[in-house]
Amino acid sequence: MSLAAEAFVSQMAAAEPWPETATLYQPLKEDQILLSDCASSLAVQAYLRMCGLPVQVVCRANAEYMSPSGKIPFIHVGNQVVSELGPIVQFTKAKGHSLSDGLDDVQRAEMKAYMELVNNMLLTAELYIQWCDDATAAEISRPRYSSPYSWPLSNILAYQKQWEVRRKMNAVGWGGKTLEQVYEDVSQCCQALSQRLGTQQYFFNKQPTELDALVFGHLFTILTTRLTSTELAEKIKSYGNLLSFCRRIEQTYFEDKSSS
Amino acid sequence: MAAPAELFCWEGSWGLPSVDPDCLVVLAYAQFAGAPLKLKKISNPWRSPSGSLPALRTNQKETLSRPSDIIIYLRKQKYNADFDLSAKEGADSLAFISLMEEKLRPALIYTFWIETKNYVDVTRRWYAEHMPFPLNFFVPGRMQHGQLEKLRLLRGNESLEAGEELEKELYRDAAECMNLLSQRLGSHKFFFGDSPSSLDAYVFGHLAPILKSKLPNGKLQQHLKSLENLTNFCTNILLLYFPRDGRESSSQKTSSQPEGGDFDHVPNKRRKQFLSALVALGAMLSYALLTGMVSIQHVQQEALEAPPDLQTIGSHEEEEGDG
Repeated sequence: MSLAAEAFVSQMAAAEPWPETATLYQPLKEDQILLSDCASSLAVQAYLRMCGLPVQVVCRANAEYMSPSGKIPFIHVGNQVVSELGPIVQFTKAKGHSLSDGLDDVQRAEMKAYMELVNNMLLTAELYIQWCDDATAAEISRPRYSSPYSWPLSNILAYQKQWEVRRKMNAVGWGGKTLEQVYEDVSQCCQALSQRLGTQQYFFNKQPTELDALVFGHLFTILTTRLTSTELAEKIKSYGNLLSFCRRIEQTYFEDKSSS
Repeated sequence: MAAPAELFCWEGSWGLPSVDPDCLVVLAYAQFAGAPLKLKKISNPWRSPSGSLPALRTNQKETLSRPSDIIIYLRKQKYNADFDLSAKEGADSLAFISLMEEKLRPALIYTFWIETKNYVDVTRRWYAEHMPFPLNFFVPGRMQHGQLEKLRLLRGNESLEAGEELEKELYRDAAECMNLLSQRLGSHKFFFGDSPSSLDAYVFGHLAPILKSKLPNGKLQQHLKSLENLTNFCTNILLLYFPRDGRESSSQKTSSQPEGGDFDHVPNKRRKQFLSALVALGAMLSYALLTGMVSIQHVQQEALEAPPDLQTIGSHEEEEGDG
């Protein structure tokens, strides 16, 4: 989003309260959405639920092309459209909803740093496994990604996406990595998160922050998604406190709503 | 012990041991850990074993080029600057390194390679002056192209161009990142305890080029200078771990004032003279060949055809002599 538009949005946002009709768009849940998009979408949903802001989830086959930044997910609130967790957090903050107000400067710095750790390592690893591991790309990612389209277009779009992600991997220096090294990185990242969490309920004491939402989105999605191998999920399962952390957030923010 | 591993790095300038952030990270870490490396400061990326800098050639003749891989290698060789860190501090290091990769690195690429005035006046000039003769015409441009490509992929925006809006966005992220680092550092000398660790190496590598370079557009530098503890942190590391480069800069400052008449101090003068003579000679020869080629070949053909004539003449003479 451009700066001018952002400034405009935050001004507008302050004026209006959160509407009941807010919607979150993501790709088709059953046949299309991929692990990384699903994780980002779940992170935003968890964040909004932690803030107590109602949002209706809508699945659209062309969600990627509807999003202003081309990234999943995005929310449509009133007459504004905001995509990705970072800008959405700023957007809700402008509306007076924030989870990180109680933190001091050092804690806020650490929270931002850990959020980038998740983006830099977990998200990149998810993209790598989806598009750079040949078995996963052929069996899962390409067929699912192109499921809404008919033959010639489906192949073109899927390979285009794969090509784009592979170039990105080369740019961030992941191009030469093997699958084992990527699993090793995931393990390292989970260990760091597990160390930071320790025995606390949430990453910063008793109150959840956007970091908790982001970590939950990624870990929960990895744990509950079936891939060609279970190794990625196994890496997380060796950290007991992360598992119970996921369970806790699921129970607190997702199960209550569905049962009531 | 076998011979030490060889580390290839970009040359230094502006009072820094190297101009490249990645090289600085590796150099700083090696200094912190006390790793004995055979350091080769070069200004020709083609002479590096991997084709890019930094590069580490290990005893087993492996070549590593990612800073994180090099640090992991040194750690395995028992040169570990993170030995004293608790598990939580190790986790924090990883998180802040990611933060810099995501927020500070794009701005660093932008300010050195994409911002037109900075690139033309400082970056391209520096690389062109330091590279050997034929490379300096195209390698800096190719490096810029590569960096632009990288920035586009990092930002996920294919049509990204240099411009005020992009600059503001990147610099805002970078300024926020510097503020966060400054808050985390507080009034300490290093990030964790009394001795520097890998996080200190990363922070130094990313911030020192901003602090020490003399860019026409120095917005990042201005912001960094307003954060006193980070500025002190960088100068401290320079003083403690790279005392020689710091002194060189002060002597360079006085000597590099008459920039205009500096042509006498061109490095590799002999070789450059020789190469330019060679190129001139080649150009003349090719011109001669292109225009006068036919006549040369003609002469050769005549020469080939001539001997039989001579022989026949000779044999005639012999026959005449016999007869």
